[in-house]
Amino acid sequence: MERFFRSDFFYHFCHAPVAIVSFITIILIILSAIFANLIAPTNPFDPSSLNLMNGFTPPLETNEFTGESFLLGTDDQGRDLFSTILYGLRISLFVGLMAVFLAMVMGVLLGLIAGFLGGWIDSIIMRFADIQMTFPSILVAMLIYGVARGILPPEVRYEMSIVVLIISIGLSEWVPFARTVRGSTLVEKEKEYVTAAKMIGLNRQQIMVRHILPNVLSPVLVIATITFALAIIAEATLSFLGVGVPTTKPSLGTLIRIGQDFLFSGEWWILLFPAITLLALALSINLFGDWLRDTLNPKLK
Amino acid sequence: MDEPLLEIKDLSVSLKKRNTISVAVDCLSLNLYPSEILGLVGESGAGKSMTGSAILGLIESPLYISAGTITLHGQSIVEAPEHIRGSKISMIFQDPLVSLNPLKTIGEQLVKTIKTHFNISKAEALERGKRLLSDVGIDPERIDAYPHTFSGGMRQRVVIALALAPDPDLIIADEPTTALDVSVQAQILNLLKRLCIERGTSIILITHDMGVISETTDRVAVLYSGRLVEIGETSDVLQHPKHPYTAGLVASTPNIDPHSFHKKLFQIPGTMPDINDVPNGCAFHPRCEHASNICQTQKPPLFNARASCWLLETPGETL
Amino acid sequence: MIFIILNRFFQAVLVLLFVALISFLIFRFVGNPVESLMGQEATLAQRAALEEALGLNNPIYIQYFDFLWKAVRFDFGNSYRGALPVAELIASRLPATLELALTSAVFAVIFGVFMGIYTAINRGSVITNFILSSSLIGVSLPTFLIGVLLIWLFSVELNWLPSFGRGEVVDLGWWTTGFLSESGLKSLVLPAITLGLYQMTLIMRLTRSEMLEVLRQDYIRLARALGLTSKAVYFFHALPNILIPVITIGGLQLGSVIAFAIITETVFQWPGVGLLFINAVYFVDIPVMSAYLLLVGFAFVLINLIVDLSYFFIDPRLRDSELKDKA
Repeated sequence: MERFFRSDFFYHFCHAPVAIVSFITIILIILSAIFANLIAPTNPFDPSSLNLMNGFTPPLETNEFTGESFLLGTDDQGRDLFSTILYGLRISLFVGLMAVFLAMVMGVLLGLIAGFLGGWIDSIIMRFADIQMTFPSILVAMLIYGVARGILPPEVRYEMSIVVLIISIGLSEWVPFARTVRGSTLVEKEKEYVTAAKMIGLNRQQIMVRHILPNVLSPVLVIATITFALAIIAEATLSFLGVGVPTTKPSLGTLIRIGQDFLFSGEWWILLFPAITLLALALSINLFGDWLRDTLNPKLK
Repeated sequence: MDEPLLEIKDLSVSLKKRNTISVAVDCLSLNLYPSEILGLVGESGAGKSMTGSAILGLIESPLYISAGTITLHGQSIVEAPEHIRGSKISMIFQDPLVSLNPLKTIGEQLVKTIKTHFNISKAEALERGKRLLSDVGIDPERIDAYPHTFSGGMRQRVVIALALAPDPDLIIADEPTTALDVSVQAQILNLLKRLCIERGTSIILITHDMGVISETTDRVAVLYSGRLVEIGETSDVLQHPKHPYTAGLVASTPNIDPHSFHKKLFQIPGTMPDINDVPNGCAFHPRCEHASNICQTQKPPLFNARASCWLLETPGETL
Repeated sequence: MIFIILNRFFQAVLVLLFVALISFLIFRFVGNPVESLMGQEATLAQRAALEEALGLNNPIYIQYFDFLWKAVRFDFGNSYRGALPVAELIASRLPATLELALTSAVFAVIFGVFMGIYTAINRGSVITNFILSSSLIGVSLPTFLIGVLLIWLFSVELNWLPSFGRGEVVDLGWWTTGFLSESGLKSLVLPAITLGLYQMTLIMRLTRSEMLEVLRQDYIRLARALGLTSKAVYFFHALPNILIPVITIGGLQLGSVIAFAIITETVFQWPGVGLLFINAVYFVDIPVMSAYLLLVGFAFVLINLIVDLSYFFIDPRLRDSELKDKA
């Protein structure tokens, strides 16, 4: 740990205000999502705690029927917006994190295999990656989502929707990981120590895992950060379109959609606060990812 | 002598980076007369090209003209150099392969240049373009060809045609033959020289090649570390150099003479200083075998309108 | 050159066959082709007869060729919902999407290129810095949020522009257009900006970096030295040279425009193919999804092919080198 504080990386971090601010924002948002049940005044996912009479209470104003007041107001069903945003963040972050994890595992594995084995396996994997890359990932995610819903029997569709969402976003983002790992594998494979290790009869898989994986960690980390932002936006987009998480457990995207419905009737706060939260989250992750990329790998600039 | 065509007085070009200012061209003065070919010679980084660009006002930040005047026909051109570009002074660059726009035919580029300076119809401009091409030895029928279909030497001919198109009084040729095959170099130089003599156009020829200087120029100015070290009639300077640096340059020029074939070529010891690190006094003194105390502390002025070297302070003393 | 064109064409067909394969697999195994034709009321015997008639008992590759042959004739089966032929559904929605995509692409290219050139020429000016930093936020903003925020500002607060639908459309028989009525044009503004904003940012950044690169070239220095006006330097010399990368990326981005049209169409309830697709995903309407995938795949492949081939018309060096290869 002491080594970390003395490192160049830490030094660069301390001299980049953008990185510090975006990092703190991310940490704050993640912490408030994790401890949502402690911070939030109500549990918006518990239908019994909702009071429809509280619906459409503006921020900081007292509801004329119940006399309650809410920091950021309430939505149409009387859910406290502040609590709903915190719990929604949980879902957004969980889906984003799991999707990135899935994409990373899949991309790193396929990239390693493609680069290591070469030949027709490599051609098939990379050709498939090329074709998938021509289609924007949000479209791929929607297709996978639709297909998955088609395969699942209608009665479990509803409960499984978060899992389906994670799988669709994860499968749509694996290509950048695979490309990077494959590239590094090809370079590393030709190095002399690999040949030397082979000659003394060491297991090739072991060599690859011990030497290649550590070498590709920093680009993978950068891609993971940027993909995390993309995954959160993808989740928000799909939920906004109504094909994401169920409305009883609204994420930020769902809240924004509800907010859009009530714009014309003047309930602006239902839209504004989730939108600001989403923007802050996506912007900070993007900025932090850009900074990471520039610091860890000046070549990518 | 005539009135000078171009007068450069105490020209300084500086480079501003953060808080440090370094000087790339230092208090340079020289005159150029009508129909004259003046050579500007020196090692790379001596400020030759910078001087050429400064005349046309083509230097960009962080470089800037920090002092001095440049006048053409007695009129200052530092304030609005765009009025003299092309029409009065044009320029030729080193590498003909990248000096022409790859996506436009040479005809389009000629017509554009001609129509910028003369109020004539497109057909007339095209006619002029064709005449220029035949002047530089290119088949006028090829006016609709793209640059990539020409060889390097042919492209430099096209560039010369472009430079002559606005009918300038002066052409600044910045290493016009350096990127070309040796066999083509002489052709291009002779062509440039012939065309300029026919039209009464002056040339400033920037080069590091003493052979080119001796064959082409009337007068030569030698630059070292952004300063003028020697200037004079070419034959005089080459045969009787007054500055140790010029003498070194002349001595280090290869010479195809069967008798001296096996002689080892002379080398000036050391390298030219970085512009951020120019020594006090005469910039050449660390490399000079004649250096004395005064050379280390005081910049030498130009003695006898010829050379900036303290050796010339005492009359009669010479290399 | 003919050889290159044929080669690209061949590759395009291969990719298209692959996309068609996925589309077929979805159609055949995720969905139920019989259902798409008969609806729920059919008897078991009727179903068995139809299965036989549809060739569902044939070997799988024959079924694939059959699928392809039908696709070429725009036969994608019936939608599960409403039992209308999918081809008819798509045909009725296509003009809306194409008009939207075209408008936003034109908007993105014109403003993107213009702002890219402006920020490259005026480096460090206040306007340039403003444009560049707001483009950073623009890239992070999800498309749907841009749409919603535009609606809030221009429809709710200012009440200048409509927030949903296509407005009044004129039926030309084979095409319905919103270009010919005032309300149609007004309705187009917000969706087109929403859809084009992200692409505009990309094109702007690309144009800017290419322009900065080109302005360092020697032929630009020569042109300046020869006294050409700034206008001639920028537009006669520099602009054609930045076109190739801008067309490549811009063309490839056109694909994304189609994908993001789904989002924009949902935000603005724009009656296009994207809205049709998102409803199909929601209601698991497999034939529509399958046909949409094929349609989008075709559009992407076509765009890539056109982008590839357009190089030959812009760059004389490429044109000639291919000719020489042939000879």
